Amino acid sequence: MSSPAILTPTESQRTPPSLVALLPGVALLFGIGIAGKLLQSALTLLHTRYPHVFIPRIEYVLLAILIGLAIGNTFGVSERFRPGVATYELWLKLGIVLVGARFLLQDVLHIGGLSLLLVAVELALSLSVMTLLGRIFKLPPKLTSLLAIGSSICGVTAIMAAQGAIEPEEEDTSTAIAAILTLGAIALVTFPAIGHLLHMSQQGYGVWAGLAVDNTAESLVTGALYGQDAGRWAILVKTARSSFIGFVVLGYAIYWSSRGLAPGVQHKGIFLWQKFPKFILGFMAISVLATAGFFTTGQITSLSNLANWAFLPAFAGVGLRTNLRDLTGQGWRPLIVGILGEVFIALVTLALVYWSYSHGVAR
Amino acid sequence: MAAPLERTASHLGSRINIDLVAIALGLALAALIRFNILPSIPF
Repeated sequence: MSSPAILTPTESQRTPPSLVALLPGVALLFGIGIAGKLLQSALTLLHTRYPHVFIPRIEYVLLAILIGLAIGNTFGVSERFRPGVATYELWLKLGIVLVGARFLLQDVLHIGGLSLLLVAVELALSLSVMTLLGRIFKLPPKLTSLLAIGSSICGVTAIMAAQGAIEPEEEDTSTAIAAILTLGAIALVTFPAIGHLLHMSQQGYGVWAGLAVDNTAESLVTGALYGQDAGRWAILVKTARSSFIGFVVLGYAIYWSSRGLAPGVQHKGIFLWQKFPKFILGFMAISVLATAGFFTTGQITSLSNLANWAFLPAFAGVGLRTNLRDLTGQGWRPLIVGILGEVFIALVTLALVYWSYSHGVAR
Repeated sequence: MAAPLERTASHLGSRINIDLVAIALGLALAALIRFNILPSIPF
């Protein structure tokens, strides 16, 4: 992060990092997360002691992100910390697996069923609108594909998954990632404000955040900034959305290989399984166990608290990887396409969520 | 700037199956809590 140059895999990066090499970055992630939590406690304490003095009550989620942002945008993340900081995705997925204990299977099936329907609409809209906008703004075709894949499924993960399948230019991948991360950062600020303005319920807001925010980490944070319940619903819907990744990437892989511009797909079933986000199975397994009464109420609370501990470094990772210079650094056209597309998708999904809740489709 | 971290995450993910590690860790922690080997965890 301290250098704008793209990190290409060096010899040392191709070999598995030792646990010792991961430690500095992991310690940084947890340190930032815990600092955010301590700061929240300090602010609450000050607020109780000095009720007449204006002291903002800021959630640890936002504090962890702000500390991460401050570090990432001033000192940057040095090479020594990068392998450990990159584990934020592991903590995020571990948190999602554990939070499965909070969802009974009937909730997963009910909201999961609703969200699958909403996700299908969102997918069709995202793919077609981004493709149309990419053509209008004359973006390179593969960059348009990457933006469409990233905005429709799960942001950076989907772009990375598509990289091997459609073989875009290195520059296109970086631009698409930067645009998606920038849009995620904008969502962190705008979504909670809109949710409060519309007095949205925790569940309704969470479903919306899960549908409209691209990256899984940003989706969780955007939900959690509104409330813990909203964060959990955002995870559930985002997870349903992520499960489509294989189908969308496969579709694009077939399209580009039919034009002779990407390698062909030999075994579609294997391809789908390879791209399927398998941590969803862990989430489902814990949810099934909780539904079957495998855990007591106290144990479910413990699992939920463990999930919150796992999310702490993930929040810090979101702050560390968000670079404010990227807001304008990747050129205006991909960003404009991204913003126009995302605003459209956010408005349509907001309307869909509102419609679903006002017609009693959701509880 | 964001890209280097994403690349590192991607390289890490290509060497280690992060999903399977997350599932294994999650199930192991759930078992430890279920059989009261881990005490109640506050947040």
